[in-house]
Amino acid sequence: MAAPQTTDPLLEEISGPTPRQILRKRVRGHTGLLFGLGVVLLLVIVAILAPVLAPHDPYVQDLTKRMVKPVFMGGTWEHPLGTDHLGRDYLSRLIYGARVSLLIGAVAALISGIIGTAMGVAAGYFGGKVDAVVTFLINVRLAMPVVLVALAVVAILGGSLEVVIGVLGLLLWDRFAVVMRASTLQVRRREYVAAAQAIGASTPRVILSEIMPNIVNNLIVIVTLEMAHAILLEAALSFLGLGVQPPTPSWGLMVSEGKNMMLFEPWLVLIPGVVLFILVLAINLMGDGLRDVTAPENRS
Amino acid sequence: MKAVFLKSTAMALAMSVAATGAALADKANDTLSVAFTKELENVDSFFNSSREGVVMQRAVWDGLIYRDPITNEYTGNLATEWEWIDDKTLELKLREGVKFHNGADFTADDVVATVNFVAKEENGVKTQRNVNWMEKAEKIDDFTVRITTKDVFPAAIEFLSGPVSIYPADYYAEVGPSGMGLKPVGTGPYKVVEVVPGQHFVLEKYEGYHDSPKGQPTIQNIDIRTIPDVNTQLAELFSGTLDMIWQVPSDQAEKMAAMGDRFTVLNESTMRVGYLSMDAAGRSGMDPNPFTDVKVRRAVNHAIDRQALVDNLLKGKSQVVSTACFPSQFGCAQDVTSYEYDPEKAKALLAEAGYPDGFSTELYAYRDREYAEAVSSYLNAVGIQTDFKLLQYSALRELNMKGEVPLAFLTWGSFSVNDASAMVSQFFKHGSLDDAQDDQTKEFLDIADSSTDPDTRIENYRKALQRIADQAYWAPMFSYNTNYVMTKEVDYTPTADEVLRFTNMSWN
Amino acid sequence: MLPFILKRLGLALLVAFTVSFISFSLLFLSGDPAAALAGETASGEDIDALRRLYGFDRPMLVQYGEWLWNALRGDFGESYYFKLPVASLIGDRLSVTMTLGVCGITFALLTAVPLGVVAAIRPNSIIDRIALFLSVAGQAMPSFWFGLILIVVFGIQLGWLPPSGASTWRHFIMPTIVLGYYAMPAIMRLTRAGMLEVLNSDYIRTARAKGAGEGRVLFKHALRNAIIPVVSLAAVQMGFMLGGSIVVESVFALHGAGYLAWESIARNDLPTVQALILIFSMFYIIFTFLADVLNAWLDPRMRSS
Repeated sequence: MAAPQTTDPLLEEISGPTPRQILRKRVRGHTGLLFGLGVVLLLVIVAILAPVLAPHDPYVQDLTKRMVKPVFMGGTWEHPLGTDHLGRDYLSRLIYGARVSLLIGAVAALISGIIGTAMGVAAGYFGGKVDAVVTFLINVRLAMPVVLVALAVVAILGGSLEVVIGVLGLLLWDRFAVVMRASTLQVRRREYVAAAQAIGASTPRVILSEIMPNIVNNLIVIVTLEMAHAILLEAALSFLGLGVQPPTPSWGLMVSEGKNMMLFEPWLVLIPGVVLFILVLAINLMGDGLRDVTAPENRS
Repeated sequence: MKAVFLKSTAMALAMSVAATGAALADKANDTLSVAFTKELENVDSFFNSSREGVVMQRAVWDGLIYRDPITNEYTGNLATEWEWIDDKTLELKLREGVKFHNGADFTADDVVATVNFVAKEENGVKTQRNVNWMEKAEKIDDFTVRITTKDVFPAAIEFLSGPVSIYPADYYAEVGPSGMGLKPVGTGPYKVVEVVPGQHFVLEKYEGYHDSPKGQPTIQNIDIRTIPDVNTQLAELFSGTLDMIWQVPSDQAEKMAAMGDRFTVLNESTMRVGYLSMDAAGRSGMDPNPFTDVKVRRAVNHAIDRQALVDNLLKGKSQVVSTACFPSQFGCAQDVTSYEYDPEKAKALLAEAGYPDGFSTELYAYRDREYAEAVSSYLNAVGIQTDFKLLQYSALRELNMKGEVPLAFLTWGSFSVNDASAMVSQFFKHGSLDDAQDDQTKEFLDIADSSTDPDTRIENYRKALQRIADQAYWAPMFSYNTNYVMTKEVDYTPTADEVLRFTNMSWN
Repeated sequence: MLPFILKRLGLALLVAFTVSFISFSLLFLSGDPAAALAGETASGEDIDALRRLYGFDRPMLVQYGEWLWNALRGDFGESYYFKLPVASLIGDRLSVTMTLGVCGITFALLTAVPLGVVAAIRPNSIIDRIALFLSVAGQAMPSFWFGLILIVVFGIQLGWLPPSGASTWRHFIMPTIVLGYYAMPAIMRLTRAGMLEVLNSDYIRTARAKGAGEGRVLFKHALRNAIIPVVSLAAVQMGFMLGGSIVVESVFALHGAGYLAWESIARNDLPTVQALILIFSMFYIIFTFLADVLNAWLDPRMRSS
């Protein structure tokens, strides 16, 4: 990939690029990463500024203006993306929906990240029995059908934002554990870890200051990928009616509600689906991109 | 380009017939294809509690008595005449020469066996209310039986013409409810030739059907498939693999009606009423519990634009309901306190009650997410924030019985019984489902329910309903309707009791 | 080889046992199934009677033990909703899900492997980019939405395929594509990476140097080596896919096991849900077990780990 040449090659030859410079150069040259980063940033801004950006209150219904068509299908600018089955502004609901998706993605990834990292690092660092137990737990977790278990739990506890986030957070730690275990195993054998242990550093200290900094790159990549995973799963749960409950504007729920009129007003399904697709695509591209620039030799 | 693509979907729908080609179901091979939305748990009509089950029951079995769905008159079906020989004993003369689908003769033994089986609680009939009024049945001779009721039960005739069907004694004893569900045998106008549990049922005209007030069936085969998704049902209707669908949501029905001359769209009212139930008795442990304050309950009533719900969401033959019963029911007085839509007044009442900024509450519902959402939106608009919880009926009912539900969107179909007692007395007599627990209401209802004098009943139902409305224990909202969509080839006039009658269907 | 298989088998059984315990206790916590069983018009006493009749008042471990013992003999109890043995209920529906799973994984392999191979032979070519795009898009596509779009376009707009149901093979085309697409990206990426690695190895260089034809090099030598991890990944993906078929089946109204699971959850039909969770887990466990054994058989180094 042709990266734009910003520094004088001669100069670079003499001083040599710092790792930070190399990273910056790689980032600039990576279209997927830039696109993903750009879209995610944009959506984060939209989510934060939702009250300012949304043309209408996403919760206010007008039963006399149900399913008004979007502007590109002959509607008016009053409701640029039309209205839903209760006459609520579709664009405003999409904008607020970004909050729901990003929040669920971020918090679920955080919870599962903490669980998975703790297990993975422990397994990789201590090995032996700890490793055996963690590996076994990973196997158990992988064997449980995620969608089915999540649906059952949400059905039992009732669908709310907290429950959905909790369920996803408690179910999606497997990849963290697998990757963190492998990374820790790799790092653990290096000299500086042995050196730290030799000078009598405590175990938590070794893990925090010697192991963690060296596996954090991989961790960030998994965080992004699992965030995308959580967002997709939330949408699927909401679509099946056992996720976030109305009137919360969740994109999956919007697809589900629009599905009833799919044959007559397909845009009700099309619009939230496309937005969901773009967000997940962007997060994935960001994750893949981060992996490429932080560990180009591992590119797959 | 996209706009054109999307707009043309409806058009493409209409044209997809040609592309999908040969249709299985049509007039040519005398097979009518119908869709069920819900999976029927068991065809045995005593062991299911769904609409689909009632539809099958009316086709496959007969009751002793028949009620004309239009005139509401009772005529004999498997019985030819009947007489109360005392307060609790009904003597019936049975029709002779009737044969079950398996060739067995219908006699008093079948009536006795059926009644004695279903009346026993431990046999686990799903809807106990349909059968638990019967004590026993005894045979007088081959074509005379006596049915004894537990208490004085004037509605016996109604139940014998509704949910109580007569089963073949020997066969039922042999196969039991699950066997009956897989290979049903009755005396009805249609016999069952195939059952794939929950999914597919094939019925065939019963050539030996007796001279029943149900009339003789005309269509040879009925092919019923369970298709849970309305879109799929519509798509199949377009492609010609279905001839008829029912319970079609109003939006889709409207679009279908607008699509020209291929389909007939008919709308019929039902007895189902949608209402909000509030925890007036303060059982839910919500603290403070705003619903114990009549001002808050009145505010809720003022907050909802019932007319807008009926006009824009339910449509069809639905109507605004402001009392705790269905308007056509006997004793369902309409001249009681009603609450017009007035959000400002609602806010003022909330402020008066000490909630100037509103409050939040859980809102439970078990069906019609769309309606519940619209209702919750009206409540939000006056400051009542709702934490929406959609549960299965059984789960919500359990919570409700434990008194843990502060606010719920519920519906009640009164089992299609045209009497106010089937609704208001069901919920306001201090049972576990009574959220009001009001002594005065119960007093009025006790008089009304136990009296045989129509005027006394009317007067006391009115008093009870007035008390309920004045205290705003409920916020009654609207009645339901059902849309039937069929191809122009099918001739059928739906009835207001939401039961599909295959026997009354024919080809145009 | 045998010790490895036995060890791996023991582990699989232990995993299955743990999963069954977790799913049982999970659903046990859901509260009292008696009310669900009793139906619309039951009174409080009816519910109490049912509770005693079914033994819901006994300690959880006792109930679990009984359930497991029966499940081991293929008896998953009676569905609360249909009042039929769960095993017979699941029987027919499982064949729909299995058909869908086999079709899905076949579709995924038939598209992902050729794409991955071509992408590896010509890195950064147009085909490589298309393959990359397809895999990135596939990972981001909500499968329920993809299914709906296919229904609108091919089922309704063009009218080429039946929009839903399972009566003929044509009904399986769209669900197969949706389910297969879910598994495709991972398989394609692995094929591409594996091929790239093998193509750059000494072994292939030697083969080339010996004058082997390019086609022979690619298919006889390179692909055969690169395909091993792909096959085991496919087995694992198959396990995942069966669990994921719940979404696809509900979109296309396929009366399979996934659809039954969804409906049973909504109906509070615990015996059916418990049985289905266990069965879906078993699928995953069996497929990963087979994948491990296959790997160990093809690559003896694996046996020691």
